[in-house]
Amino acid sequence: MRSIRVSIPLAATLGVMFSGGFGAAFADPVTITLNSWRTEDIAVWQDTVLPAFEAKHPDIKVEFAPINTNEYNAAVQSQIEGGAGGDLITCRPFDVNREWIKRGYFESLEGLPGLANFDKTSRAAWSGADDKAYCLPVAAVLAGFYYNADIFKELGLKVPTTSAEFIDVLQAIKKDGRYTPLAYGAAESWQLAYNGLYSIGPAYWKGEEGRLGLIDGKKKLTDPEFVDAIAAFAAWKPFLPAGQESLNYADMTQLFTLGKAAILPDGSWDINQVTSTGLNVGVFGPPVPKAGDQRYLQEMPDMGIGINAKSTHKEAAKTFLDWIAGPEFQELYVNAAPGFFAMSNKPVTYKNKLAQDFADLKKGAQLTPRLALDRLSAGTPPLDDETWRLLQVMFTKSDVTPQQVAAELQAGLASWYGPQKK
Amino acid sequence: MISPAAAYRNLLLFVLPALAVYLVFAVLPLATSIVMSFFQTNGASGDVFVGFANYERLFTHPTISARFWNALLNNMQYFAIHLIVEVPMGLLLAALLTSGKLARSEGIYRTLLFIPATLSVVIVGFVWRLIINPLWGLVGFPLLGTESTALTTISLMSVWQYFGIPMVFLYSALLAVPNELVEAANIDGAGGWTTFWKIKFPLIAPQFGLIAILTYIWTFNGFDLVFALNGSAPGPNYSTDILGTYFYRTFFGSSGQLADLDLGSAVATVIFLTVLLVTAAYFWLIQRRLKSYSV
Repeated sequence: MRSIRVSIPLAATLGVMFSGGFGAAFADPVTITLNSWRTEDIAVWQDTVLPAFEAKHPDIKVEFAPINTNEYNAAVQSQIEGGAGGDLITCRPFDVNREWIKRGYFESLEGLPGLANFDKTSRAAWSGADDKAYCLPVAAVLAGFYYNADIFKELGLKVPTTSAEFIDVLQAIKKDGRYTPLAYGAAESWQLAYNGLYSIGPAYWKGEEGRLGLIDGKKKLTDPEFVDAIAAFAAWKPFLPAGQESLNYADMTQLFTLGKAAILPDGSWDINQVTSTGLNVGVFGPPVPKAGDQRYLQEMPDMGIGINAKSTHKEAAKTFLDWIAGPEFQELYVNAAPGFFAMSNKPVTYKNKLAQDFADLKKGAQLTPRLALDRLSAGTPPLDDETWRLLQVMFTKSDVTPQQVAAELQAGLASWYGPQKK
Repeated sequence: MISPAAAYRNLLLFVLPALAVYLVFAVLPLATSIVMSFFQTNGASGDVFVGFANYERLFTHPTISARFWNALLNNMQYFAIHLIVEVPMGLLLAALLTSGKLARSEGIYRTLLFIPATLSVVIVGFVWRLIINPLWGLVGFPLLGTESTALTTISLMSVWQYFGIPMVFLYSALLAVPNELVEAANIDGAGGWTTFWKIKFPLIAPQFGLIAILTYIWTFNGFDLVFALNGSAPGPNYSTDILGTYFYRTFFGSSGQLADLDLGSAVATVIFLTVLLVTAAYFWLIQRRLKSYSV
């Protein structure tokens, strides 16, 4: 049956096999390859990260071999199952990776000294059913609100900390009439979930308490804390630009960077774009329901790196991962790719001011990943996809209530997810 | 004098390079994906033959099948809009081009009208998205963001891009209409309108069948414009999801969704059969019976 697999990402497979094969056969140092979906990171790895590693370990050469983002999962699956694939595999967080672990793609990392730099929550996205670590956490992304500091100053506004203050600020901007309060729209459903509901919601469902409650079946999406969160998100609707139903992600960023909108709900990965026009941009975290409530912040594990169980250079791969776990790599990477944040418990300094501001939001806040990506999306319909779809329906139709959204989400989840079935 | 056997051998020799490429890059992947749709290839126990289980899941699982039928219906609508709008438009323009009224500018118009068909879909999608953007564009209504208008909007963008194809087909058919027939009709007192409908139109009629079937094949294999505009989960509420995007989502997965190669292969096979059966029926039932005009 091997021929079946070969036909799929033929070029990618051959590329990896050749680069790995030649390195091992002809060169003195061991060459290991690293598969990644971050094609945009080629320069970061080749010019900054890898030379720093190779300077310390002249006996190991690392080759960065990215695969087109959209085809990454299919390519990795067919390569590994066909007995090929890079020595190091960049790991998707949660369910996709848990399935990959189950299929035996990865070598266990237990016993790797560098693992001690990460606490259990940081490792959770990449541990298997046996609770063992299979990928080393590399970077996370955060979600929050960028704001145009000049507009805030001009209108005499203060950064909001509670939901009521947040709405007041939006009202004030709307009343003034010169700027769009929120640069936000519904054309791209993923960001309704990732930068909207999953960002402000944890303050209502109490972060991990609500998320894990759904996972072990103790809570339902129809419980008041989830309905309230969806309602708080629906309350944004009056403050969106006209025609928001057709506004895509690029439009939103553009509206904000042109200085026509005051606030942009977005992820940390957009740091470079929002400051590209030289605006005076600040960032604030999701507001809390009542003054004095615990703050929450979405910290989404984005990528880890694991060792291919079929690799022939496991020792070299382990040496590399141990270095990845250390402070040298963490600082190099997050500063070369602003918007990504280190997950290790060692302090890291960010040279980009906005990135540092974003990182400062973590202080005093409880961190929680995106609501639906862990276990709740490992069946059909995946809760995450349903959340995208139903939030989009809520934002594009006027007659859909938060209660209806919650009820349909719960029905979809309960149709296949064991702990929610009863 | 070359013997018939040698002639065939030479023929084979000339066809071989193209045939080899075709076999390796079209027939082989197609065959393997059909085979794969009967297997479960991701289990720990290796590849297991599962018969029609993947198809059963595709047609009976509440969510998977609902999305599939939705994509199929959308695809039919996508095809219908192409056919209804594109063909009359192509006919009108081809008739105008061959009417002789344009005189020397005929060539310029012919080129201009065909240009959209040569553009990249990414550019077409991007430009149209800007034109109908409620923020910076000409239309205040969120055409792409409203469930009832999104699919029609995308279909019309695609029509705008490809109306040049039926136009060229009909244009060349109209050029092939023998002049004697038109002149004879003129002598009998037929005007331009009568000549067109009574003489030219019946002679180019067989082209419509061909255009319809080609449009069918293109639209049911459609993917790129929808993907460029709306990604692989085309909203709102999957209202612009067609078979191509449905397949892509299933086969390649996404950041949060596993790639399901087996179910994806089943989807691909169903799409292939949908296209194959209709095309075969067309050629069997209609194309065979057409006779070309001979003087």
